Amino acid sequence: MSRSMTFARRYQQHLFAVLLSLSLLTGCGPATVVVEGRFPPPLIEPLPLKLGVWYGPDFAQHEFFDESTTRGQSSWVVKTGQAQILMWNSLLAGVFDEVVHLKSAPVPGQSIPGVDGILVPHVSQLQYTIPKHTQVKVYEIWMLYRFELLTPDAQPVAEWDMSSYGKTPTAFLQSDQEAVNLAAVMALRDAGANFATTFTRIAPIQAWLQAQNVPAPGSSP
Amino acid sequence: MKYSLLTTLTLTTACLLSGCVTSTVDEMIYNEPVEGIGESSVVILGRRHSSNYETEPDFVLCVGEHITSYDNSITVIGELEFINALYPWFEPRTAPLHPEGLEQLVLQEPVARKIADLKLEYIIWLDGSTERSGGSGSMACSLGGCFGFGTWAHDANYEATIWDFSDRAAVGHISTSASGQSYMPAVIVPIPIIAPVQGTACDGVGDQLLEFLSSEY
Repeated sequence: MSRSMTFARRYQQHLFAVLLSLSLLTGCGPATVVVEGRFPPPLIEPLPLKLGVWYGPDFAQHEFFDESTTRGQSSWVVKTGQAQILMWNSLLAGVFDEVVHLKSAPVPGQSIPGVDGILVPHVSQLQYTIPKHTQVKVYEIWMLYRFELLTPDAQPVAEWDMSSYGKTPTAFLQSDQEAVNLAAVMALRDAGANFATTFTRIAPIQAWLQAQNVPAPGSSP
Repeated sequence: MKYSLLTTLTLTTACLLSGCVTSTVDEMIYNEPVEGIGESSVVILGRRHSSNYETEPDFVLCVGEHITSYDNSITVIGELEFINALYPWFEPRTAPLHPEGLEQLVLQEPVARKIADLKLEYIIWLDGSTERSGGSGSMACSLGGCFGFGTWAHDANYEATIWDFSDRAAVGHISTSASGQSYMPAVIVPIPIIAPVQGTACDGVGDQLLEFLSSEY
Protein backbone atom coordinates (compact mmCIF):
# COMPACT_ATOMS: atom_id res chain seq x y z
CA MET A 1 0.00 0.00 0.00
CA SER A 2 2.72 2.45 1.08
CA ARG A 3 4.95 1.37 -1.85
CA SER A 4 2.20 2.05 -4.35
CA MET A 5 1.53 5.45 -2.71
CA THR A 6 5.26 6.34 -2.96
CA PHE A 7 5.23 5.30 -6.63
CA ALA A 8 2.12 7.40 -7.28
CA ARG A 9 3.70 10.41 -5.57
CA ARG A 10 6.94 10.01 -7.55
CA TYR A 11 4.92 9.62 -10.76
CA GLN A 12 3.02 12.80 -9.98
CA GLN A 13 6.27 14.66 -9.27
CA HIS A 14 7.80 13.51 -12.57
CA LEU A 15 4.65 14.37 -14.47
CA PHE A 16 4.60 17.82 -12.91
CA ALA A 17 8.27 18.39 -13.77
CA VAL A 18 7.71 17.29 -17.39
CA LEU A 19 4.62 19.48 -17.77
CA LEU A 20 6.42 22.46 -16.20
CA SER A 21 9.41 22.02 -18.53
CA LEU A 22 7.11 21.70 -21.54
CA SER A 23 5.14 24.77 -20.63
CA LEU A 24 8.35 26.75 -20.06
CA LEU A 25 9.80 25.55 -23.35
CA THR A 26 6.67 26.33 -25.35
CA GLY A 27 6.27 29.66 -23.55
CA CYS A 28 9.75 30.67 -24.72
CA GLY A 29 9.25 29.43 -28.31
CA PRO A 30 8.45 31.71 -31.23
CA ALA A 31 4.88 32.54 -32.25
CA THR A 32 4.30 30.32 -35.29
CA VAL A 33 1.76 30.96 -38.01
CA VAL A 34 1.20 28.37 -40.74
CA VAL A 35 -0.74 30.47 -43.23
CA GLU A 36 -4.05 28.88 -44.19
CA GLY A 37 -6.67 30.27 -46.53
CA ARG A 38 -8.93 29.62 -49.50
CA PHE A 39 -8.13 31.23 -52.82
CA PRO A 40 -10.75 31.63 -55.55
CA PRO A 41 -9.92 31.07 -59.24
CA PRO A 42 -9.56 34.29 -61.23
CA LEU A 43 -12.42 35.52 -63.40
CA ILE A 44 -10.30 36.28 -66.42
CA GLU A 45 -10.01 35.23 -70.07
CA PRO A 46 -7.10 32.76 -70.04
CA LEU A 47 -4.10 33.34 -72.28
CA PRO A 48 -3.91 30.61 -74.97
CA LEU A 49 -0.58 29.33 -73.68
CA LYS A 50 0.76 26.18 -72.04
CA LEU A 51 2.95 27.29 -69.14
CA GLY A 52 5.43 25.22 -67.19
CA VAL A 53 5.81 26.21 -63.52
CA TRP A 54 8.66 25.36 -61.21
CA TYR A 55 8.25 26.00 -57.47
CA GLY A 56 11.75 25.78 -56.00
CA PRO A 57 12.22 24.54 -52.43
CA ASP A 58 12.81 28.17 -51.30
CA PHE A 59 9.31 28.97 -52.56
CA ALA A 60 7.40 25.78 -51.78
CA GLN A 61 8.65 25.72 -48.18
CA HIS A 62 8.90 29.44 -47.75
CA GLU A 63 8.95 30.62 -44.18
CA PHE A 64 9.90 33.84 -42.54
CA PHE A 65 11.65 33.95 -39.18
CA ASP A 66 11.96 37.12 -37.17
CA GLU A 67 13.94 36.87 -33.95
CA SER A 68 12.84 39.21 -31.19
CA THR A 69 15.32 41.85 -30.17
CA THR A 70 13.77 42.70 -26.81
CA ARG A 71 12.61 40.55 -23.88
CA GLY A 72 9.03 41.83 -24.09
CA GLN A 73 8.48 40.71 -27.67
CA SER A 74 8.29 37.16 -29.00
CA SER A 75 10.01 35.81 -32.08
CA TRP A 76 7.81 35.00 -35.07
CA VAL A 77 7.81 32.23 -37.67
CA VAL A 78 5.40 32.81 -40.56
CA LYS A 79 5.19 29.76 -42.86
CA THR A 80 3.66 30.78 -46.19
CA GLY A 81 4.92 27.97 -48.48
CA GLN A 82 1.81 25.79 -48.46
CA ALA A 83 -0.53 28.75 -48.97
CA GLN A 84 1.71 30.15 -51.74
CA ILE A 85 1.37 26.89 -53.67
CA LEU A 86 -2.42 26.80 -53.19
CA MET A 87 -2.87 30.40 -54.32
CA TRP A 88 -0.51 30.29 -57.32
CA ASN A 89 -1.91 26.93 -58.52
CA SER A 90 -5.42 28.39 -58.45
CA LEU A 91 -4.37 31.67 -60.08
CA LEU A 92 -2.13 30.33 -62.85
CA ALA A 93 -4.73 27.72 -63.83
CA GLY A 94 -7.09 30.63 -64.56
CA VAL A 95 -4.58 32.98 -66.22
CA PHE A 96 -3.23 30.38 -68.67
CA ASP A 97 -5.00 27.76 -70.80
CA GLU A 98 -2.86 24.97 -69.39
CA VAL A 99 -0.31 24.72 -66.60
CA VAL A 100 2.32 21.98 -66.26
CA HIS A 101 4.05 21.53 -62.91
CA LEU A 102 7.70 20.66 -63.43
CA LYS A 103 9.21 17.92 -61.27
CA SER A 104 12.72 19.35 -61.38
CA ALA A 105 14.36 22.74 -61.79
CA PRO A 106 14.71 23.89 -65.41
CA VAL A 107 18.29 23.47 -66.67
CA PRO A 108 19.60 25.71 -69.49
CA GLY A 109 19.90 23.74 -72.70
CA GLN A 110 17.49 21.00 -71.60
CA SER A 111 14.19 21.62 -73.35
CA ILE A 112 10.83 20.88 -71.73
CA PRO A 113 8.65 19.67 -74.61
CA GLY A 114 5.14 21.00 -75.15
CA VAL A 115 5.32 24.17 -73.06
CA ASP A 116 5.43 27.75 -74.36
CA GLY A 117 7.38 29.10 -71.40
CA ILE A 118 8.44 28.36 -67.83
CA LEU A 119 7.60 30.55 -64.85
CA VAL A 120 9.75 30.42 -61.72
CA PRO A 121 8.43 32.48 -58.77
CA HIS A 122 10.54 33.44 -55.74
CA VAL A 123 9.66 35.28 -52.53
CA SER A 124 12.50 37.79 -52.14
CA GLN A 125 11.32 39.50 -48.99
CA LEU A 126 8.57 39.34 -46.41
CA GLN A 127 7.99 41.98 -43.78
CA TYR A 128 5.31 42.16 -41.15
CA THR A 129 4.18 44.59 -38.51
CA ILE A 130 1.96 43.97 -35.53
CA PRO A 131 0.41 46.64 -33.28
CA LYS A 132 3.04 45.98 -30.59
CA HIS A 133 5.70 47.20 -33.04
CA THR A 134 3.94 50.23 -34.49
CA GLN A 135 1.22 51.30 -32.00
CA VAL A 136 -1.13 51.37 -35.02
CA LYS A 137 -4.16 49.08 -34.70
CA VAL A 138 -3.39 47.17 -37.89
CA TYR A 139 -1.50 43.95 -38.67
CA GLU A 140 0.34 44.14 -41.98
CA ILE A 141 2.24 41.75 -44.26
CA TRP A 142 4.26 42.96 -47.22
CA MET A 143 5.85 40.57 -49.71
CA LEU A 144 8.21 41.14 -52.59
CA TYR A 145 8.22 38.50 -55.32
CA ARG A 146 10.74 37.97 -58.08
CA PHE A 147 9.57 36.15 -61.18
CA GLU A 148 11.62 34.54 -63.91
CA LEU A 149 10.03 33.71 -67.24
CA LEU A 150 12.12 31.26 -69.25
CA THR A 151 11.90 29.70 -72.70
CA PRO A 152 11.18 25.93 -72.83
CA ASP A 153 14.98 25.36 -72.87
CA ALA A 154 15.40 27.59 -69.80
CA GLN A 155 16.80 30.68 -71.50
CA PRO A 156 15.70 33.93 -69.77
CA VAL A 157 12.82 35.87 -71.33
CA ALA A 158 11.99 38.27 -68.51
CA GLU A 159 12.72 38.86 -64.85
CA TRP A 160 10.68 41.25 -62.78
CA ASP A 161 9.72 42.15 -59.22
CA MET A 162 6.19 42.44 -57.88
CA SER A 163 4.99 43.54 -54.46
CA SER A 164 1.89 42.58 -52.51
CA TYR A 165 0.33 43.87 -49.34
CA GLY A 166 -2.26 42.65 -46.87
CA LYS A 167 -3.59 44.10 -43.67
CA THR A 168 -6.18 43.39 -41.02
CA PRO A 169 -7.30 45.66 -38.19
CA THR A 170 -6.99 44.58 -34.56
CA ALA A 171 -10.71 44.89 -34.01
CA PHE A 172 -11.48 41.93 -36.31
CA LEU A 173 -9.67 39.11 -34.55
CA GLN A 174 -8.78 37.72 -31.16
CA SER A 175 -5.13 36.68 -31.39
CA ASP A 176 -1.93 37.93 -33.03
CA GLN A 177 -1.59 34.62 -34.89
CA GLU A 178 -5.10 34.79 -36.37
CA ALA A 179 -4.56 38.38 -37.46
CA VAL A 180 -1.15 37.70 -39.03
CA ASN A 181 -2.71 34.72 -40.88
CA LEU A 182 -5.52 36.88 -42.26
CA ALA A 183 -3.08 39.64 -43.25
CA ALA A 184 -0.96 37.01 -45.05
CA VAL A 185 -4.03 35.64 -46.87
CA MET A 186 -4.90 39.20 -47.93
CA ALA A 187 -1.31 39.70 -49.13
CA LEU A 188 -1.50 36.46 -51.16
CA ARG A 189 -4.82 37.49 -52.71
CA ASP A 190 -3.28 40.87 -53.51
CA ALA A 191 -0.29 39.13 -55.14
CA GLY A 192 -2.69 37.15 -57.33
CA ALA A 193 -4.64 40.29 -58.25
CA ASN A 194 -1.44 42.18 -59.05
CA PHE A 195 -0.09 39.35 -61.23
CA ALA A 196 -3.37 38.76 -63.08
CA THR A 197 -3.82 42.44 -63.91
CA THR A 198 -0.22 43.41 -64.77
CA PHE A 199 1.37 40.31 -66.35
CA THR A 200 0.53 41.29 -69.93
CA ARG A 201 1.63 44.89 -69.38
CA ILE A 202 5.30 44.08 -68.67
CA ALA A 203 7.32 45.15 -71.74
CA PRO A 204 9.43 41.96 -72.26
CA ILE A 205 6.29 39.84 -71.67
CA GLN A 206 4.42 41.80 -74.35
CA ALA A 207 7.24 41.06 -76.81
CA TRP A 208 7.17 37.38 -75.78
CA LEU A 209 3.37 37.23 -76.22
CA GLN A 210 3.72 38.72 -79.71
CA ALA A 211 6.31 36.09 -80.55
CA GLN A 212 3.81 33.43 -79.37
CA ASN A 213 1.12 35.03 -81.61
CA VAL A 214 -0.99 35.91 -78.58
CA PRO A 215 -2.85 39.20 -79.01
CA ALA A 216 -2.20 41.62 -76.12
CA PRO A 217 -5.39 41.51 -74.05
CA GLY A 218 -6.69 44.56 -72.17
CA SER A 219 -6.33 42.85 -68.83
CA SER A 220 -6.84 45.78 -66.56
CA PRO A 221 -9.70 48.22 -66.19
CA MET B 1 -47.53 64.81 -14.69
CA LYS B 2 -47.57 61.17 -13.59
CA TYR B 3 -47.31 60.07 -17.22
CA SER B 4 -44.32 62.29 -18.00
CA LEU B 5 -42.54 61.12 -14.83
CA LEU B 6 -43.16 57.51 -15.86
CA THR B 7 -41.87 58.21 -19.37
CA THR B 8 -38.74 59.90 -18.01
CA LEU B 9 -38.16 57.01 -15.63
CA THR B 10 -38.65 54.43 -18.38
CA LEU B 11 -36.31 56.27 -20.76
CA THR B 12 -33.67 56.71 -18.06
CA THR B 13 -33.85 53.02 -17.14
CA ALA B 14 -33.70 51.95 -20.79
CA CYS B 15 -30.79 54.31 -21.34
CA LEU B 16 -28.95 53.03 -18.29
CA LEU B 17 -29.53 49.39 -19.20
CA SER B 18 -28.35 49.67 -22.79
CA GLY B 19 -26.10 52.76 -22.73
CA CYS B 20 -27.13 55.96 -24.50
CA VAL B 21 -26.65 56.49 -28.21
CA THR B 22 -27.28 59.57 -30.31
CA SER B 23 -27.26 59.31 -34.07
CA THR B 24 -27.85 61.36 -37.20
CA VAL B 25 -28.52 60.22 -40.74
CA ASP B 26 -28.23 62.33 -43.90
CA GLU B 27 -29.23 61.18 -47.34
CA MET B 28 -29.00 62.47 -50.87
CA ILE B 29 -30.74 60.30 -53.46
CA TYR B 30 -30.79 61.25 -57.16
CA ASN B 31 -32.53 58.47 -59.01
CA GLU B 32 -34.66 56.18 -56.87
CA PRO B 33 -36.25 53.14 -58.56
CA VAL B 34 -40.01 53.76 -58.71
CA GLU B 35 -41.12 50.20 -57.98
CA GLY B 36 -38.20 48.82 -56.02
CA ILE B 37 -35.47 46.71 -57.61
CA GLY B 38 -37.77 43.82 -58.56
CA GLU B 39 -35.92 40.67 -59.67
CA SER B 40 -32.52 42.37 -59.67
CA SER B 41 -29.94 41.95 -56.95
CA VAL B 42 -27.78 44.26 -54.91
CA VAL B 43 -24.37 43.81 -53.32
CA ILE B 44 -23.09 45.69 -50.28
CA LEU B 45 -19.31 46.01 -50.11
CA GLY B 46 -16.98 47.52 -47.50
CA ARG B 47 -14.25 49.92 -48.61
CA ARG B 48 -10.79 48.66 -47.63
CA HIS B 49 -8.52 51.37 -49.05
CA SER B 50 -7.59 53.36 -46.00
CA SER B 51 -4.29 52.59 -44.30
CA ASN B 52 -5.51 52.86 -40.71
CA TYR B 53 -9.05 51.42 -40.70
CA GLU B 54 -11.29 49.03 -42.61
CA THR B 55 -15.05 48.95 -42.85
CA GLU B 56 -15.95 46.04 -40.59
CA PRO B 57 -17.31 42.94 -42.43
CA ASP B 58 -19.89 42.46 -39.63
CA PHE B 59 -21.22 45.99 -40.25
CA VAL B 60 -21.62 45.19 -43.95
CA LEU B 61 -23.39 41.95 -43.00
CA CYS B 62 -25.61 43.80 -40.51
CA VAL B 63 -26.81 46.31 -43.14
CA GLY B 64 -27.56 43.49 -45.59
CA GLU B 65 -29.49 41.53 -42.97
CA HIS B 66 -31.40 44.67 -41.95
CA ILE B 67 -32.61 45.09 -45.54
CA THR B 68 -33.59 41.45 -46.09
CA SER B 69 -35.23 41.14 -42.68
CA TYR B 70 -37.71 43.91 -43.60
CA ASP B 71 -38.16 42.99 -47.27
CA ASN B 72 -37.17 39.43 -48.12
CA SER B 73 -37.96 39.95 -51.81
CA ILE B 74 -34.69 41.91 -52.12
CA THR B 75 -31.70 39.73 -53.07
CA VAL B 76 -28.59 40.93 -51.26
CA ILE B 77 -25.46 39.10 -52.45
CA GLY B 78 -23.00 38.29 -49.66
CA GLU B 79 -19.84 40.40 -49.67
CA LEU B 80 -17.33 37.53 -49.59
CA GLU B 81 -19.36 35.50 -52.09
CA PHE B 82 -19.29 38.47 -54.50
CA ILE B 83 -15.61 39.35 -54.19
CA ASN B 84 -14.65 35.67 -54.53
CA ALA B 85 -16.90 35.24 -57.58
CA LEU B 86 -15.35 38.32 -59.21
CA TYR B 87 -11.76 37.78 -58.05
CA PRO B 88 -9.46 39.66 -58.73
CA TRP B 89 -11.58 42.66 -59.73
CA PHE B 90 -12.90 43.78 -56.31
CA GLU B 91 -9.73 43.41 -54.23
CA PRO B 92 -8.48 46.59 -52.45
CA ARG B 93 -5.90 47.05 -55.25
CA THR B 94 -8.31 46.61 -58.16
CA ALA B 95 -11.79 47.64 -56.98
CA PRO B 96 -13.15 50.60 -58.98
CA LEU B 97 -13.11 53.86 -57.02
CA HIS B 98 -15.57 55.64 -59.32
CA PRO B 99 -18.65 54.32 -61.16
CA GLU B 100 -16.98 55.09 -64.50
CA GLY B 101 -14.55 52.25 -63.67
CA LEU B 102 -17.43 49.77 -64.10
CA GLU B 103 -17.42 50.52 -67.84
CA GLN B 104 -13.84 49.26 -68.14
CA LEU B 105 -14.63 46.29 -65.92
CA VAL B 106 -17.45 44.94 -68.09
CA LEU B 107 -15.15 45.02 -71.13
CA GLN B 108 -13.80 41.81 -69.59
CA GLU B 109 -16.17 39.24 -71.05
CA PRO B 110 -16.12 36.80 -68.11
CA VAL B 111 -16.87 39.69 -65.73
CA ALA B 112 -19.79 40.89 -67.85
CA ARG B 113 -21.19 37.33 -67.97
CA LYS B 114 -20.88 36.84 -64.20
CA ILE B 115 -22.58 40.16 -63.45
CA ALA B 116 -25.39 39.30 -65.85
CA ASP B 117 -25.77 35.90 -64.10
CA LEU B 118 -26.00 37.65 -60.74
CA LYS B 119 -28.62 40.12 -62.11
CA LEU B 120 -26.69 42.86 -60.36
CA GLU B 121 -28.37 46.25 -60.44
CA TYR B 122 -26.82 48.18 -57.56
CA ILE B 123 -23.43 48.18 -55.82
CA ILE B 124 -23.52 49.84 -52.41
CA TRP B 125 -20.16 50.85 -50.95
CA LEU B 126 -19.93 51.30 -47.20
CA ASP B 127 -16.98 53.31 -45.94
CA GLY B 128 -16.26 54.03 -42.30
CA SER B 129 -15.66 52.39 -38.95
CA THR B 130 -16.60 52.39 -35.30
CA GLU B 131 -13.84 53.62 -33.02
CA ARG B 132 -13.51 53.57 -29.26
CA SER B 133 -12.66 57.02 -27.96
CA GLY B 134 -11.69 58.00 -24.45
CA GLY B 135 -12.19 56.05 -21.29
CA SER B 136 -12.08 56.76 -17.60
CA GLY B 137 -12.64 55.19 -14.23
CA SER B 138 -10.87 52.39 -12.45
CA MET B 139 -11.68 48.92 -11.23
CA ALA B 140 -9.92 46.64 -8.80
CA CYS B 141 -10.54 42.90 -8.71
CA SER B 142 -9.56 40.39 -6.06
CA LEU B 143 -10.82 37.01 -4.86
CA GLY B 144 -13.70 38.80 -3.14
CA GLY B 145 -14.90 40.31 -6.41
CA CYS B 146 -14.50 43.56 -8.34
CA PHE B 147 -15.15 47.12 -7.19
CA GLY B 148 -15.05 50.28 -9.23
CA PHE B 149 -16.53 52.01 -12.23
CA GLY B 150 -15.42 52.35 -15.84
CA THR B 151 -16.83 54.32 -18.73
CA TRP B 152 -15.85 54.73 -22.37
CA ALA B 153 -17.30 56.10 -25.60
CA HIS B 154 -17.73 54.74 -29.12
CA ASP B 155 -18.09 56.81 -32.29
CA ALA B 156 -19.40 55.34 -35.52
CA ASN B 157 -19.13 57.17 -38.84
CA TYR B 158 -20.20 55.53 -42.08
CA GLU B 159 -21.01 56.65 -45.59
CA ALA B 160 -22.95 54.56 -48.08
CA THR B 161 -22.59 55.30 -51.80
CA ILE B 162 -25.06 53.70 -54.20
CA TRP B 163 -23.88 52.90 -57.73
CA ASP B 164 -26.39 52.07 -60.43
CA PHE B 165 -24.73 49.30 -62.43
CA SER B 166 -26.85 49.78 -65.57
CA ASP B 167 -26.26 53.55 -65.76
CA ARG B 168 -22.68 53.33 -64.39
CA ALA B 169 -23.49 56.28 -62.14
CA ALA B 170 -23.69 57.16 -58.46
CA VAL B 171 -27.35 57.60 -57.57
CA GLY B 172 -27.23 58.27 -53.86
CA HIS B 173 -25.19 59.00 -50.75
CA ILE B 174 -26.21 58.23 -47.20
CA SER B 175 -24.11 59.18 -44.22
CA THR B 176 -24.66 58.30 -40.62
CA SER B 177 -22.88 59.05 -37.41
CA ALA B 178 -23.65 57.64 -33.99
CA SER B 179 -21.95 58.05 -30.65
CA GLY B 180 -22.64 56.52 -27.30
CA GLN B 181 -21.29 56.10 -23.82
CA SER B 182 -20.87 52.66 -22.26
CA TYR B 183 -20.54 52.00 -18.54
CA MET B 184 -19.29 49.20 -16.34
CA PRO B 185 -20.12 49.52 -12.65
CA ALA B 186 -18.74 46.76 -10.47
CA VAL B 187 -19.93 45.81 -7.03
CA ILE B 188 -18.53 42.30 -6.60
CA VAL B 189 -19.65 41.45 -10.17
CA PRO B 190 -18.91 43.84 -13.08
CA ILE B 191 -22.07 44.71 -15.03
CA PRO B 192 -21.30 45.98 -18.55
CA ILE B 193 -23.88 48.42 -19.95
CA ILE B 194 -22.85 48.65 -23.58
CA ALA B 195 -24.13 51.38 -25.90
CA PRO B 196 -25.17 49.75 -29.22
CA VAL B 197 -23.39 52.38 -31.34
CA GLN B 198 -22.57 50.24 -34.37
CA GLY B 199 -26.03 48.63 -34.30
CA THR B 200 -27.68 52.08 -34.29
CA ALA B 201 -25.54 53.18 -37.26
CA CYS B 202 -26.45 49.92 -39.03
CA ASP B 203 -30.18 50.52 -38.47
CA GLY B 204 -29.83 54.13 -39.69
CA VAL B 205 -28.12 53.19 -42.97
CA GLY B 206 -30.27 50.07 -43.37
CA ASP B 207 -33.53 52.03 -43.07
CA GLN B 208 -32.50 54.56 -45.71
CA LEU B 209 -31.30 51.83 -48.09
CA LEU B 210 -34.54 49.96 -47.54
CA GLU B 211 -36.51 53.05 -48.57
CA PHE B 212 -34.39 53.25 -51.71
CA LEU B 213 -34.51 49.58 -52.70
CA SER B 214 -37.92 48.40 -51.56
CA SER B 215 -41.25 49.08 -53.17
CA GLU B 216 -42.97 48.58 -49.81
CA TYR B 217 -41.14 51.27 -47.81
